[in-house]
Amino acid sequence: MILSYFRYRKRLAKWIAYSALILSLAAPIFAHAYTGVTIVINAPTATNLEFVEYFKNELVSTKNTNLRVNVVVLQESEKLVVAENSELVIALGVKALEASSRLKYTTPVLGVFTPLPVFNDLLAKSRRELGNFSAIVLDQPYSRQLSLIRAILPEAKKVGVLLGTVSSQYMDVIKDEGEERGFSVLDETVYQEAELIPKLKKLLENTDALLAVPDGLIYNRETAQPILLTSYRHQKPMFGYSQSYVRAGALASVYSSGKQMAKQAAEIAVKSQQAPSLLPPPQIPKYFSVTLNYQVAHSLNIPLMDEEALYKKMLEAEAIENQGHEEIRH
Amino acid sequence: MKTYVKYFALHISLFISYSQVLYAEEVDTNAAYEKDAWPQTGSSDSVSEDDYFGEVPKVLTVSRLSQSKADAPSAVTVIDHETIRAAGIVDLAEIFRLVPGFYVAKNAGFIYNSNHVVSYHGMASAYPGSMQVLINGRSVYTPLFGGVQWSELPISIDDIDRIEITRGPNAASYGANSFFGVINIITKNPADSLGSSVKLTHGDGRNEAFYRHAGEIDDFNYRVTVGYREDDGLENRNDFKRTQLLNVQADKRLNATNEIDFELGITGGERADGEAVKDNRFFVPRTRDILNHYELVRWRHNVSDDSDFSLQAYHSLNSSDDQITTVNLRPFLPAVPALLSATLQINNDIEMERFDIEAQHTFAPANNLRVVWGGNIRLDTTFAPYWLGTSATDHFNLQRLFGHAEWRINDQFLMNIGSMVEHNDFTGTDISPRASLNFKLTPNQTLRLGISSATRTPNYIEEKFNNPILIPTTTPASYLIQTFADTGDVNPERILSKEIGYLGQMGNLNVDARLFDDEIRDVLNTKRMTLTLPPTIVLAGQLPRIYFNGTDAQVRGFETQIKYRLFKQTQIIANYAHVKISGDKTLPTDFTISMPENTFSALITHQFDSNWDASYAFYQTGAVSALGDGAPVGLNRRSDVRLARKFVVNRASGEVSLAVENLFNEHYHEYALYNTLGRRAVINCNLDF
Repeated sequence: MILSYFRYRKRLAKWIAYSALILSLAAPIFAHAYTGVTIVINAPTATNLEFVEYFKNELVSTKNTNLRVNVVVLQESEKLVVAENSELVIALGVKALEASSRLKYTTPVLGVFTPLPVFNDLLAKSRRELGNFSAIVLDQPYSRQLSLIRAILPEAKKVGVLLGTVSSQYMDVIKDEGEERGFSVLDETVYQEAELIPKLKKLLENTDALLAVPDGLIYNRETAQPILLTSYRHQKPMFGYSQSYVRAGALASVYSSGKQMAKQAAEIAVKSQQAPSLLPPPQIPKYFSVTLNYQVAHSLNIPLMDEEALYKKMLEAEAIENQGHEEIRH
Repeated sequence: MKTYVKYFALHISLFISYSQVLYAEEVDTNAAYEKDAWPQTGSSDSVSEDDYFGEVPKVLTVSRLSQSKADAPSAVTVIDHETIRAAGIVDLAEIFRLVPGFYVAKNAGFIYNSNHVVSYHGMASAYPGSMQVLINGRSVYTPLFGGVQWSELPISIDDIDRIEITRGPNAASYGANSFFGVINIITKNPADSLGSSVKLTHGDGRNEAFYRHAGEIDDFNYRVTVGYREDDGLENRNDFKRTQLLNVQADKRLNATNEIDFELGITGGERADGEAVKDNRFFVPRTRDILNHYELVRWRHNVSDDSDFSLQAYHSLNSSDDQITTVNLRPFLPAVPALLSATLQINNDIEMERFDIEAQHTFAPANNLRVVWGGNIRLDTTFAPYWLGTSATDHFNLQRLFGHAEWRINDQFLMNIGSMVEHNDFTGTDISPRASLNFKLTPNQTLRLGISSATRTPNYIEEKFNNPILIPTTTPASYLIQTFADTGDVNPERILSKEIGYLGQMGNLNVDARLFDDEIRDVLNTKRMTLTLPPTIVLAGQLPRIYFNGTDAQVRGFETQIKYRLFKQTQIIANYAHVKISGDKTLPTDFTISMPENTFSALITHQFDSNWDASYAFYQTGAVSALGDGAPVGLNRRSDVRLARKFVVNRASGEVSLAVENLFNEHYHEYALYNTLGRRAVINCNLDF
């Protein structure tokens, strides 16, 4: 099934990647059923505490009360101690995942609230196996983000993306996903901060919308204002990757809440309880929401349906797309 | 299971690239396992959960978001910097030829004005005062004559981001004098054009040099522009201008919710005025010095997600030094036996100062409701001994409260309602309400019904022009020459404007059209008055005039702007207006012909490749006779062309362009017969580094 999916892609590099995936899954495993879950957090922030609460609630509501939930607040000076092997470690955020990646090789670790490039780095750095080191990444799939743009701007033809040195690796994927939805994706790669606004302007002049792809060089506290203002002055909507960006002035975004992430994490915890070193491969957020900035939409004269209707429309779009993929598999 | 497969397949599309990188890194970094060996991109440029969950300061706050054209209560024309560039203009005022319903004329007056006439829907004079003009929310409307001294604005055309022109009264948003329309000039944000830039212009009777530098220091952005302009003016007129200008604009973000903006501008230079026409006794050819400056500070505060507050204060000063020695007056006064002196000294110094504070609160109490309200206090002081007949400085106070609400009734209907209450020293208290209903026929087509009122406060000339010139003789009697003797009891002009507007977008075609019916009440007019003089004073010449509120006038017509993208690289903007001014028998003909009945303009731009572009502008203005010093001028046609090439040299980029105004060298007249226009060409070189 998956093989035919890759054949469809016809890319040698992806064959290699796939082989790596299979190899890692087939790596030697230690199959002790675990009895508890340790959630490692860097600090008791609202987002983290919310996750813990929803995670517990999810276990209760699915009648999996046999799993103990233990919360460890990370102290940078101290060494992280957990009951190795017998527990699943869920690390919330980059720092927590980094610390957890240094745990014993056999302790299963699931990262949550970690962007894919960081997980990527940590996996390589820790030399762990995918079977006991996995994540629900923060990144929403480009297919989903592009579907959102399509749903809001049915007539748009060109989407612009500003990429930095980290995010430039995703260009091919974004272009492919864009093509599937009838967009030609134009890109500009920024190597230093000074190029940011000129390259953004160039993009905005030739595109109908801007899709923000997380990259510390491009989207940070300092650049949020000039990027949003420049896009607005060009009367082009920006599609963000977080609720904060939409509040700040992006038109729309898909995002997954702490509650949604907790639900997905609980599902993984329950499912892999009996086979701790067979964590599923890193996955994208399964549950998501849509957030819209109506004031920006009005100002740009873009008609918007309500968030709920748009979300349903996107779910339908995803269902149709996946049917398409299944047909290819047959 | 099916859902899992679905999401797994989705995840693969993300994961593919991840695995590629993983594979590459495993190969490349086989030996290096030390911490330091890991690429820094993993920690510094890389993202973390903070990028997703961290707060981003609210940028497009409720006050920063302007209404879309489809939601606006009036017709709005936006001219962006690309259009300004393509039009190839050297004088800012020229750009308004590309707005439907505008009449623009080059004028070299002889009293206090060598500036363009920019008027909308008529009542054009040397100082057309029927429009409010703002630069970044600062009023540059002058109280003495009304209108704007276009050549004296401390602004470089290249610093302009866009110009928003409200066609129709909009007192509820911009206050009194937003009578026929409002011009709002918005400059670029300093952070938008970081770096340095030099611009040189040379051409027929015209030289310019500008330098701009914009930079950022942490959360402080600034831009400094210095420039020099010289313009020899019209061939047959004494109207040269030399202008030096400095403009500084800066903003400082204090924290996520507070920002402070600063602006500073200085214009100085020389203006040639005056003409040796047959009966000109006083305003002889001469050169006067001007000095204008302004300072502005604005605090923006983001109260909450749906609420913004701003407080703005500015001070401006416009001054002109003009000591005039008249011609020998003896030939003009043959009946007078013995003048004490053959010439007279006239003090035509002018100094106008403005202090203005405005507070504004924008908020959205509900998802479909947006409200802006605020207040404004202003003090204008005017020193103009010749015009006011006194060397005392006159004070003019103004207080204003305004409110405007945008109510989105549903997806189809949107209503705008607003009002302003203004109290000023000249005319007391006035209320100007407005309302409009926008109906979306389709998502891309909007029909607008609007009714709006505004007042135009009389300017100093209309309220207090009083210029007795006493010519002493060797006898006890003095001779008096006086052109005006205002008594200061005129009422403001009032406008009630009704309109039906249409906005539509069909593929590559954008249409903005409007039918309007404006009623102007108490039109200000002049008449001769009788003077009671003491026995020792003898009137020489005619009786002086006085302003009074006359009859009403109707301004009706149709205007449209069409934008059409002919090909990918070719765009056309075309404007047409038909304006008819009428009134009862008592409305002097002067008023009915103060606007060309038909005006047409078009701009065609074409991009040949990434370096070369060209544009062609065509302007046709019907016969018109402006008020005041204006005189009948016939229909005229003018063509302007511009050819530009962009280039890149090392790390610098730039553009060289040639612009020719009046390509076919038609000698025609604008505003009055003494302004004869011919062909003018300029070469322009711009370098950004």
